[in-house]
Amino acid sequence: MKTTKIIGSRSRPSTPTLRFSPTAWAKLLFLRDYGRTEIGGFGISPADDLLYVDDVRLVKQTCSWVHVAFDDTSVAEFFDEQVDAGRQPEQFARIWVHTHPGDCAQPSAVDEKTFTRVFGRSAWALMFILAKRGQCFARLRFNDGPGGELVLPADVDYSRSFLGCDHQMWEQEYLTNVSPQQTNLVASRLSESANGSPFDEEDEWLDSWFDYTDDGDNEKETA
Amino acid sequence: MRLNRYFFHERFFMRVLTINNNGGGFADYVEIADGTTVAQLFEQQISGAKPSNYLIRVNRQPCSEDQVLQPGDRISITPTKIEGALG
Repeated sequence: MKTTKIIGSRSRPSTPTLRFSPTAWAKLLFLRDYGRTEIGGFGISPADDLLYVDDVRLVKQTCSWVHVAFDDTSVAEFFDEQVDAGRQPEQFARIWVHTHPGDCAQPSAVDEKTFTRVFGRSAWALMFILAKRGQCFARLRFNDGPGGELVLPADVDYSRSFLGCDHQMWEQEYLTNVSPQQTNLVASRLSESANGSPFDEEDEWLDSWFDYTDDGDNEKETA
Repeated sequence: MRLNRYFFHERFFMRVLTINNNGGGFADYVEIADGTTVAQLFEQQISGAKPSNYLIRVNRQPCSEDQVLQPGDRISITPTKIEGALG
C-alpha cells in the first residue's frame, strides 16, 4: 500500500483513513531514514479526531535492523508525561507506529503477537508500519463487543494547520531514545575475536568427546 | 443521617489517580477503599490480566504488589515488552 492520495479538503474522508499531519509524516520519514535500524513509537492524536496523527513520539528503545524493543520504564514515563500534558490514553497509547528498514510493510509474527498481547485489551488499537519506498500498513482493531479489524489506507492530511520541520529536534529525539543494538553486537564480536577464536568452545567439546570415546575403548580393552 | 454517610465515606474511601490504557482507557481519579493494595487495584482495573505484562508504578516509582495505596497516589499501569520485528 502506498500513500499517494492527498487529502486537501476540510472534510474528513468518507472511509476510515489513518491520516498524518505533514509534520508528523515528515518526522516519521526522517526517523525511519536517520539510522539503519527499525524504530518505533506512538502516534499522538487530538481528542476530537483519533485517526489523525499530529505527532509521532519515540520512547527509549533498543533496535537492530530486524527488531525494535521499547524500554518498559520509558513507556511508563511517556504515559505520565502525556497525562501531564492533559491527554487521555486513547490519544497517545493506541496508535503503535514502527518502521521496517526493508520495503515490506507487512506485520511479522512478532508484530502480531505484540499487537494482540499489548493492545488486545484496549477498546481499540491501530498498528502502523512504515517501510522503505513509501510502503505502509495500517490495521485498526476493535476489541470491544464482537471485535473486528480493518486494514486502513494511510494518507497525509493537509487540511489542518501544521507546524514546520525541525530536523535538529527530531535528531535529538532520535539520539536520546534509539540505541542501536548492532553496534554492541559488532563490538562484542570484535572483542570475542580479539580474545580468541569463537570456535574455542567447540574445540573443547570435541576434545572432551574424543576423551570420552578413548575412555570407552580403554574400558572395552580392559574387559 | 446524611452527615453520617459523609463521614463514613470519608473514613473508608479515598481517591487515587489511575492511568490505565485497558478497555476505554482513562487517566482519572477513582475511588477505592481505604487499605487497598496495588495488587487489589490491579485486579479491580484489569481483571484476569497477567501482571507480568504490565509495569505498575506508584508516584512514578516501582512498587511491590502489597504496597498499600495512600490518598492522592498516582498509579500507572502500562504495557511491557512492546517489540516489533521484520518478518
